[in-house]
Amino acid sequence: MTTIADIEDMMARITLRDRDALASLYDATSAKLFGVCLRVLQNRSEAEDVLHDVYVRVWQKADTYAVTGHSPMTWLITVTRNMSIDRLRKRRPETGSDDAMALVADAGPGPEAAAIASSERARIEACMGELESDRADAVRAVYLEGETYKDLAEHFDVPLNTMRTWLRRSLMKLRDCLTR
Amino acid sequence: MSESEDAHDDDVLAAEYVLHLLDDDERRAFEARLATDRELQVRVWSWEKRLSPLSDAIEVVAPSKTLRSRVLQSVGEPPARRPAQALWAWIAGGAVTAGLLLFVLFGETFGPEPNLAVAFQAELASEDRAQVMVAGVIPATHEIVIERVTGTAPEGRVHELWLIAEGADAPVSLGLLENQGITRIRVPDDIAPGVRTGTIAVSEEPPGGSPSGAPTGPIVAAAQFSDV
Repeated sequence: MTTIADIEDMMARITLRDRDALASLYDATSAKLFGVCLRVLQNRSEAEDVLHDVYVRVWQKADTYAVTGHSPMTWLITVTRNMSIDRLRKRRPETGSDDAMALVADAGPGPEAAAIASSERARIEACMGELESDRADAVRAVYLEGETYKDLAEHFDVPLNTMRTWLRRSLMKLRDCLTR
Repeated sequence: MSESEDAHDDDVLAAEYVLHLLDDDERRAFEARLATDRELQVRVWSWEKRLSPLSDAIEVVAPSKTLRSRVLQSVGEPPARRPAQALWAWIAGGAVTAGLLLFVLFGETFGPEPNLAVAFQAELASEDRAQVMVAGVIPATHEIVIERVTGTAPEGRVHELWLIAEGADAPVSLGLLENQGITRIRVPDDIAPGVRTGTIAVSEEPPGGSPSGAPTGPIVAAAQFSDV
């Protein structure tokens, strides 16, 4: 079982250009990070391209993670999510996203994920539970699938500005709940 | 809710930035501010951290077996190619102003064959000479090349290189040294002019380097460059 301390150690060794450490990090984290890519991109080959670029970025930028104050997993997931959504935005004009409602419906925690629930996870789920359920779905769709305001406005069938106001309020509520 | 309107707006913007909800123009404008606004950076990091537990719900999926070797191949470039690449990236990056500055400061001539020769050198040695390193500067690529002659960092520690520019009151980290052989470090353009007249130093640090941005461990050696 890989612990946070193990991953921190791998990151430190990667900063020192230790290729074996990158291999260990890949073994410990690639399935999780691939899940993140797939969730956003819904396309295996694109997701693999992005995952490849993520580890190359980690190799080059491992030293920058410390300044964010993130745990290594949070940093890795953030980098992966950012790179996946960048890729998604680039292809968006020619690719539709008509199955997005299904994705929103899908966004709840699966049973296996629930089993590994962390205390942080429990907290954010409790706070998401304080939002109206469609607004919590909207936050999840934006975070997990990289939906835009325009996508959300279409799926929830409300004007764009209404969607924007909804989501901003939901985010502030979520923040206030999490910092309570 | 006691926070000011500006702070509230910045926090909304930071959240929208993290979620990739800003349009291209808004995103560029936000990133321009982010580059220098520490408070805004902290807001972004806070949102990244706050939302990240949502990804716990994502199922793990193994990527194809071939991807692992593709990744390792991509990072396995021999270090000997790095100076040429750095120079190429530097030229391609259109760093014309920096180029002129470098030209003025170092008097280098940029012909079709860039001059990759070491122009300044320094010996970094500990008092007992158990640790000896030789550092050279290649002005054309803004690189410091450090070769270990004797000694390595103790088990579980690393050596970090610092620049104390002339007149500066704090050292700037230039990067970590490999524990054997040669390390090449590209000095950021804005501090490169301070290398020739400044002091370089090597400190002993925990793995990953100094956590504080300033040297935390003992200084192994320090020196100034002189012309070759």
